Amino acid sequence: MPYLNVTEVESAVTSLATAYPVSSQLITLPETSYEGRTAHALRIGTLTRVPKSSLIMIGGVHAREWGSCEVLIHFAADLLEAHRDGTGLGYGGTTFTADQVEMLVNRLDLVIFPLVNPDGRRYSQTVQSMWRKNRNPANAGGSPNPDCVGVDLNRNYDFLFDFTTAFDPSADPQVSTNPCDPQVYCGPSAFSEPETRNVRWLLDQNPQTRWFIDVHSYAQDMLYNWGDDDNQSVDPDMNFRNSQYDGKRGLPGDLAYSEYIPKGDEDTARLLAEAFCQGVQGVRGVPYKPMTGFHLYPTSGTSDDYVYARHFTDPDRGKVLGFTIEWGNDQAQSPNPFHPPWAEMKKIVLDVDAGLVQFCLAAL
Amino acid sequence: MSAVPNAPHDDILRLRVTAKDLETLRALLRETRSDTGGRPHHEADGRVGIDVYATAAQVPALEREGVTVTRAGNASEAGRAAQAEVGSGDRFAPADAVPRGLAAKLAG
Ligand SMILES: [Zn+2]
Repeated sequence: MPYLNVTEVESAVTSLATAYPVSSQLITLPETSYEGRTAHALRIGTLTRVPKSSLIMIGGVHAREWGSCEVLIHFAADLLEAHRDGTGLGYGGTTFTADQVEMLVNRLDLVIFPLVNPDGRRYSQTVQSMWRKNRNPANAGGSPNPDCVGVDLNRNYDFLFDFTTAFDPSADPQVSTNPCDPQVYCGPSAFSEPETRNVRWLLDQNPQTRWFIDVHSYAQDMLYNWGDDDNQSVDPDMNFRNSQYDGKRGLPGDLAYSEYIPKGDEDTARLLAEAFCQGVQGVRGVPYKPMTGFHLYPTSGTSDDYVYARHFTDPDRGKVLGFTIEWGNDQAQSPNPFHPPWAEMKKIVLDVDAGLVQFCLAAL
Repeated sequence: MSAVPNAPHDDILRLRVTAKDLETLRALLRETRSDTGGRPHHEADGRVGIDVYATAAQVPALEREGVTVTRAGNASEAGRAAQAEVGSGDRFAPADAVPRGLAAKLAG
């Protein structure tokens, strides 16, 4: 099947929930998009008396990164079918037994939200393919410049949202307060957008969540916390909540600031990221790299750092390790790796889905 | 700027931008606030490169001492080809049309 349009992503989710009533459940997100679209998520997992840990996966956040929705729909469809029929799953050279599939579906609670930004996907698939933001025009100030529409949803979460205060002036994180920035406008306030509030709602509704994966493209890597600065595990007071370090964040390799992550969390995050990459590589040998989100430039307001930050900000909340997949090959000759020809995307779907199953098994 | 986003002269090109070192590349990206794809890679000759997406009119702003800009393709044109590969209607509308994944289902 070629790429899914916006209607089809939603109907794929509802169709799976109807076809697999024993092992899945439809979730309707509370907020509609600016253009009035209702989004759905799918819970996968058999009912048990023992409470289970949840893994939330989201995709379709950046409009032009089309294949993220297909990655998640195929992942869900394969797991549900294999679980019902008692089969294993084969992704090229990476294979999983029927026992592993059953264990995963029985022991884990998976929440899959494949299309966070339906308006953006619709616009990218029918008008301007390179569109990234949502389609909210509220901050355009009446400007006729088409770039002034929309917010970068993956800069709109509540993590160091006031980046001009938080970061060193020369760090220049990849984010903007200019509504006409065509790519990385963060919005007027954290969670100003219905799409990011839907993601927050999923987290609030599922306090047993321990892992979160946001599917993006492209770079062939698996990012884990943090994205604002280098990691350090020696000084717990040097952290994103401490205003003493305002104006010092975001510079690589310096002593002024590094973001605190307990050693145990970093080890776990790295092991899970490595498991993902191992699953991917087994399919047909494509190397994905595990690394922290902070690499070329710092970021603020991203989903992966927000989900992990929540339990530091409010100790009553459970700890959620945040990850971002960047599928797709930046060495490819394709003129547009954000939405490669479907024949190529199919291979990437198999790569990434094998990695996701491997991640789940490592998380259990 | 044209108000017609799909006019060919507004097409977004995939550019390979290389600099003599990472610091030069960072400075360029900071100053031009370019739309990038992927991560920086060291090329065989020791230079550092990254994908930048920009219109033809924006290319001169990227060109400078120590920086090489190579056109790798027309992203908008490839995007229009990809748009032709998007489903129309709703393939899952029939009650018995359930999505199936691409993985092989392996016996027990
Ligand atoms: Zn993205």
